[in-house]
Amino acid sequence: MKRFTAWMEEHFVPVAAKIGSQKHLVAVRDAFIAIMPITMAGAFATLLNVFVRDLPNNYWPDLKIAETMNWLIGINGNVWWGTLAVLSMAFVFALGYQLSKAYKTNALAGGLISFASFIAVTPQVATIAAAGPKGADVVGWGFLNYGYLDAKGLFTALVIGFISTIIYAKLMNKNVTIKMPESVPPAVSKAFASIIPGVIAIYTCAILAYLVGTFADGQAIGDLILKYVQMPFLGLSQGLGAVVIVVLAVQLFWFFGLHGTNVLGAVLDGTYLTATTMNDSAYQAGEAMKFIWTRGSFDAYVWMGGAGCTIALVIAVLIFSKRADSRAIAKLSAPMGAFNINEPVVFGMPIVLNPLYFIPWLLVPVVLTVIAWCATSFGLVPPVHVVVPWVVPPVIYAFLATGGSFAAAILAAINLAIGIAIWSVFVIMANRVGVDEENEEPEVA
Amino acid sequence: MVNILLVCSAGMSTSMLVKKMQDAATAKGVEANIWAVGDAESTVESKKADVVLLGPQVRFLEKKMKERVEDMKPVAVIDMASYGTMNGAKVLDSALTILENFHK
Repeated sequence: MKRFTAWMEEHFVPVAAKIGSQKHLVAVRDAFIAIMPITMAGAFATLLNVFVRDLPNNYWPDLKIAETMNWLIGINGNVWWGTLAVLSMAFVFALGYQLSKAYKTNALAGGLISFASFIAVTPQVATIAAAGPKGADVVGWGFLNYGYLDAKGLFTALVIGFISTIIYAKLMNKNVTIKMPESVPPAVSKAFASIIPGVIAIYTCAILAYLVGTFADGQAIGDLILKYVQMPFLGLSQGLGAVVIVVLAVQLFWFFGLHGTNVLGAVLDGTYLTATTMNDSAYQAGEAMKFIWTRGSFDAYVWMGGAGCTIALVIAVLIFSKRADSRAIAKLSAPMGAFNINEPVVFGMPIVLNPLYFIPWLLVPVVLTVIAWCATSFGLVPPVHVVVPWVVPPVIYAFLATGGSFAAAILAAINLAIGIAIWSVFVIMANRVGVDEENEEPEVA
Repeated sequence: MVNILLVCSAGMSTSMLVKKMQDAATAKGVEANIWAVGDAESTVESKKADVVLLGPQVRFLEKKMKERVEDMKPVAVIDMASYGTMNGAKVLDSALTILENFHK
């Protein structure tokens, strides 16, 4: 075990450090963090609708709550239109902003250029389906179709945001700019400096869109990326094997004391958050949700109390542990654990590089993942489709994230019980380990 | 007045430590301004700090953070044991020592 951890410290941790600080990945992750107010407002609207429309309609249709609350449902619709319906627009701006910042150039200009480039590749013609016979549809010019701007457009936003911003930022850094005499105020010369790089960046994307439109039989870049990149890629992320690999990777990172979801943030949000919002769009439109496993599924069923289902460990320690040190840490971290903050457990128990807890640290999340994945794919619980802040306590989290499913809350509670059971075995084993072992805890640096 | 910035993934778990450190500072009679932010906001916030401390779970940011502050101020990783036990007094002491040594 010692040799194994040493080897991992030497080879695995530097890789994690590289991923965790790679500037393009960090920009993607930070862009997703930056649009949180937007996704949260959209999620809030979805949840409000759940409580005034969907739950009453399902459980107490006679009360006609939805009818009296129609005004609120209308307001929620407006919020959805301004948030989740145009999520990619918000994201492409945030990405351009964060990426320009990483390249140390004018971030606001970068965000705007990225935004303009995205709209430049979005079709300008919309088909409005007529109620009459087939073929009576109206085709109009001058419309943005939200089908390109919601979560379905996220990968396109990612690609176009990257292309345009990198062109802009590289040209800025190479000083391909209009230079002003020194007597011109800095704000003015700054604005002028972005002109050439901005024009080239937006033109590149516009030309790309024109070429694709010409050679791909009128299809837009957004159509192609959705069909040939986003859907296959998201499809790959849905298999039980893929989900287990992601869970194991995050657990391993944490075992070495690295914030796993932070390191893998770009991948997690890029794929699974996209799946969450696509599910929500389908839910809003009354269609079947396509994705079994989304970003919130991890938090709802597996990482309760934080990665490793540490709330289960805390409870197991409080019940079974005879070790004063473990009990003290459990007492200290229980209130934080209720809100899914688990650093005190990870570093205090400690979990990090602790051979005693290595096996359950990997085992518990995998078992919980398998159970939740199967339950969702058998249709026992609905897929997660609402973005819920990660500090929402376990079980309640699952209830909200599935749009008010009691079955999901029960599943989370069952998973929690299983987590406690498995952790307990190892906590009881840890009781037998003498005081000598304690002295080998990571040294105080 | 010492300005101490703590950085972690979202600024949540370090914010717990902030409270403990503030209590320790009050007890010691040290005038300190201590606050916590997530990685995403740390670029701006690090400008206002005298010393930047990273949570051990984001220790991979150390190099990047040092570049950000252009080695003008100390950047250090909080030791795991003190972090896990939320030992505010110890982290505060080490922050003050690091700051002192840095400007020597």
